[in-house]
Amino acid sequence: MDDVNERIPIANPAVVLREEFDDWAIVFDPDTGQAFGLNPIGVMVWKSLDGKGSVAAIARRIREEAEGVPEDVEEHIRTFMEAAVRLGLAGYEVS
Amino acid sequence: MDYPLNQLYAYVTDTCNLRCRHCWIAPRYTAAPGGEDGIDADLFASVLDEALPLGLTAVKLTGGEPLCHPRFDRLLEAVRERELGLSVETNGTLVTADAARLMASRGGAFVSVSLDSADPAVHEAIRGVEGCFAAAVRGIENLVAAGLRPQVIMTVMGRDRRDLEGLAFLARDLGASSVKFNIVQPTARGRGIHERGDMPTVPELVALGRWVDRELAPSLDIPVIFHHPPAFLSLSRMFGPGGDGCHNCGIKGILGILADGSYALCGIGVTVPELVFGRAGRDPLAEVWRHNEVLRGIRENLPRGLKGVCASCLLKGVCLGGCIAVNYGTTKDLWAPFWYCRQAFEAGLFPEGRLLPGSFPTN
Repeated sequence: MDDVNERIPIANPAVVLREEFDDWAIVFDPDTGQAFGLNPIGVMVWKSLDGKGSVAAIARRIREEAEGVPEDVEEHIRTFMEAAVRLGLAGYEVS
Repeated sequence: MDYPLNQLYAYVTDTCNLRCRHCWIAPRYTAAPGGEDGIDADLFASVLDEALPLGLTAVKLTGGEPLCHPRFDRLLEAVRERELGLSVETNGTLVTADAARLMASRGGAFVSVSLDSADPAVHEAIRGVEGCFAAAVRGIENLVAAGLRPQVIMTVMGRDRRDLEGLAFLARDLGASSVKFNIVQPTARGRGIHERGDMPTVPELVALGRWVDRELAPSLDIPVIFHHPPAFLSLSRMFGPGGDGCHNCGIKGILGILADGSYALCGIGVTVPELVFGRAGRDPLAEVWRHNEVLRGIRENLPRGLKGVCASCLLKGVCLGGCIAVNYGTTKDLWAPFWYCRQAFEAGLFPEGRLLPGSFPTN
């Protein structure tokens, strides 16, 4: 059975992350113009979608580097990933 | 796809007791509010009944000055009986203690009151009626006494930051819940203001907006909003904790109804007859909402049909072209770039980070 926790998320390399002065950012697909805002934690997550770490590993890193992280951060990241995959902004590495 | 009709913008009367120089609709002036002008209250109630199955959740009562309507109380009652959300846009001058209590009763309302300066002489010079400043302030006080904390809206006519600052602090001290700075739109009387250059230029407005966003707003303990397009606002101010949102009117889920019972895109129908889509009592609302070609075109093509700088804007999905009613009112093209963004782009002031890379918009 596929363990979703062990899947390795990766950002669509065609999608652009554009950071702004207040640590928020816009991610957008330059082909379609579809764009989405990310808050600072979302930016940290996005930068972690390098095809090297699982969602659990990303959650650990967020807990280490950010303050006031909710206990269910891993669930938040999983929801984030579902949306990103649905929108074509990210996917999972094929093992 | 079936789009819900979320909200009706009801322009309940085409009269107003003020003569504002910047008004984007230009209703008829009346010195004796409460005459017979305005939408029939029974017709209004029947429109709400037709709109409920289409998804209606809220109604905005505006005008003209909505409190000029002779049966404003019945309009309120019709909204309350159907347990709909209610917002009221008023100049405040007719908000008596009784009217304030009426608006505050049974679930309350989101009320916005126009106040164009903390200086009575400036406000009255803009609004064209002596004594209207004190009357508007009294209206705000009545609302606060009734338990409502209105939003105070100032239309930016001058270039001096101190005017905005003075108004924001006055509003806060009066008990307002928030302050919003609107920009004069180039329709109806506002067109003359634009043509005469009797308002800040777009570069000046961009600078004022940045100052409000980064300096004035953080200095107050109530939200302070500079209502220019989202491309000019920080994401954190729109969507962060305590953020004000993007102030998109949600045009895909809105329909206007005018004082004569006409269905229209919004109040623009008062001056642009081709944006009138039918008439209440004659045309079934469901038919208008689902099948009108203009409304269908908006749902199917907004935002991807936008032109010029709006086509290249990364925030077009939340902005939806600024105000497409104004776009049409000024160019006869719903899909034209919003005038503010076009001018900012031409002046080299459109935030580059909010544009698609390599885009060279044609205006």
